[in-house]
Amino acid sequence: MKPLAVTAFTTTNPAGIGNAATLAALRAGRTGLVPNTLDWAPIACWVGAVPEAEHIALPQALRDYDCANARLALLALEQDGFRDAVARSVQRVGAHRVGVFLGTTTSGIRSTEIAYAHRAADGSLPANFRYETCHDMDATTELVRRFLGVSGPSLTISTACSSSAKVFAAAERYLRAGFVDAAVVGGVDTLCQTTLYGFNSLQLVSEDVCRPYDAARKGLNIGEAGGFALLEDGEAALQLLGYGETCDAHHMSTPHPEGAGARLAMAAALEAASLEAAAIDYVNLHGTASPANDLAEGRAVHDLFGDRVPCSSTKGVTGHTLGAAGITEAAIALLALEAGFRPGSPTTRAVDAATRCRFEPAGADASLRKVMSNSFGFGGNNCALVFGRAA
Amino acid sequence: MTKVHVRSIGVLAPGLPGWEAARSVARGELPLERAAITPPVPRCLPAAERRRSSPTARLAIAVAEQAIDAAAIPAADMEMVFAASEAAGEITHQLCEVLAGTREISPTVFHNSVHNAPLGYLSIAMGAKLSGTSVCRGRWSFAAGLLCAALQAQAARRPVLYVCYDSPMPVPLQAACPMVDPTAVAMVLAPERIDAALASASLEIVEADVEREWPAWIPPSWHANPSARGLAALGAFAAAKGMARVPFAPGQALEIRC
Repeated sequence: MKPLAVTAFTTTNPAGIGNAATLAALRAGRTGLVPNTLDWAPIACWVGAVPEAEHIALPQALRDYDCANARLALLALEQDGFRDAVARSVQRVGAHRVGVFLGTTTSGIRSTEIAYAHRAADGSLPANFRYETCHDMDATTELVRRFLGVSGPSLTISTACSSSAKVFAAAERYLRAGFVDAAVVGGVDTLCQTTLYGFNSLQLVSEDVCRPYDAARKGLNIGEAGGFALLEDGEAALQLLGYGETCDAHHMSTPHPEGAGARLAMAAALEAASLEAAAIDYVNLHGTASPANDLAEGRAVHDLFGDRVPCSSTKGVTGHTLGAAGITEAAIALLALEAGFRPGSPTTRAVDAATRCRFEPAGADASLRKVMSNSFGFGGNNCALVFGRAA
Repeated sequence: MTKVHVRSIGVLAPGLPGWEAARSVARGELPLERAAITPPVPRCLPAAERRRSSPTARLAIAVAEQAIDAAAIPAADMEMVFAASEAAGEITHQLCEVLAGTREISPTVFHNSVHNAPLGYLSIAMGAKLSGTSVCRGRWSFAAGLLCAALQAQAARRPVLYVCYDSPMPVPLQAACPMVDPTAVAMVLAPERIDAALASASLEIVEADVEREWPAWIPPSWHANPSARGLAALGAFAAAKGMARVPFAPGQALEIRC
């Protein structure tokens, strides 16, 4: 495919609000995860929260959209000059030529959970419960459209934990077909009972801080995050070079044991980018720290990249931010390219040799030209992205 | 503007058991005779998955099967785009009710709650390993999903299975989202004209507020279902040189011209 320019990006996650804070945490090997103290979900586990989002007030005209997801979306939009970058695009191409493509898994379902906890005697939900502007999967996308004042074709993708990686692929197709000239891509997911108790029911949540690819890993830590990138036609220092999307066709909540679908997604991303595996300098793994994911993914990565390519998972820093994991790790990949720093996995102590790939727990300065980011989700839904830095 | 070729259509709604019936109604040749829809049983799902999957997933897969059968293309050779406003209302309700009580969620209910669960079940049942995307755009989901699927067919140079579906919302969610009947439509889209194409369509976004425009035959009780916009658009495919405008965004419509 023809490379697309990434003209702006930003991430807000448990390790940092904005790119600089996130990069500082990655460089310092500092985790944003903490022991869970949520009184509405007292589960013995660690979580990644962005408490600053609570204080965000929505503009009066958009108050109907107010929910945890909306607040985190607006906090994230205010970082790294992202809003200004979109405004410049709008000025250049027109509001109707800018689309918004966001991923989420649970949207504002925390509001629905609260409504269900306050049902009337007849079972009805409180009068202030808003379905369309909070619960609907598209609510945050429509909010962001209105907040940014853009009216181009837009879409919400909800394919579990690959959601906000796949938005890059979808947006590329709208750009290629000429339906938009610029695309705001990204994703937002916030802590809720649904995912905390849900992953807990699958025995996938770790009581300890998560340790990706560790021989003693016990599961994932759920985090919340919001992030965005601006894709446009043309030249820029940072580029989206390729993407690959596949389905495992294997199991609803367990990956294929050899990571067959993941491998196909990575291979398709390389093919789209017209690159050999040897051209990739770093792979940011999905690396949830669940026993099954890391084993399957590590083997698939090794099968494709052998022992040469350094890999790590940054979920020990940010937590698994689910529908926002794709954009969070895309932003980390872009930060790595920009800063010349290969992130490590500070919570990993002893790498599980059975995962086979070249997992590097220690971060290091490195000249990176091309990096891959993996995101895999329930339903066996896989997406791999390749980003590059122009010479 | 983009072009897409429709190879086959599947339809499920009360009184509309398939494309043949829907075509006659959309052409105005026959009235819609609403009959309670028999809960569809997708053939492709093994017994265990039939039990585990939600009614919404079974509806989506059953309508998809109609389109796949009529297209005579194996699902494994298609990319997939599934569009729905709600993942599965009955699952959301079950989940939130348990979370307000014991909080002892069943793992099956949890994995059924993801928006892409119907897509996942179909992919597993049919061995479909190409790209699969589950999308939402609120009440504009049908038009947004159709354009997404058409662009995917064009980019991948492959057939794309497009499915848009809604199932009834349980009480108390129904008060906020009044979906009372199941409605679903599926299409196999191809990037190039094939001999057996049912219709070729151009898709274009136009400035028009058509949110209140519905064909007379669509019962008002379906107006809350985003997928009913797909049923409303069937007239475009049911006759030569058909045209339909479906809401795409506030003040915008997707114009479908065959």
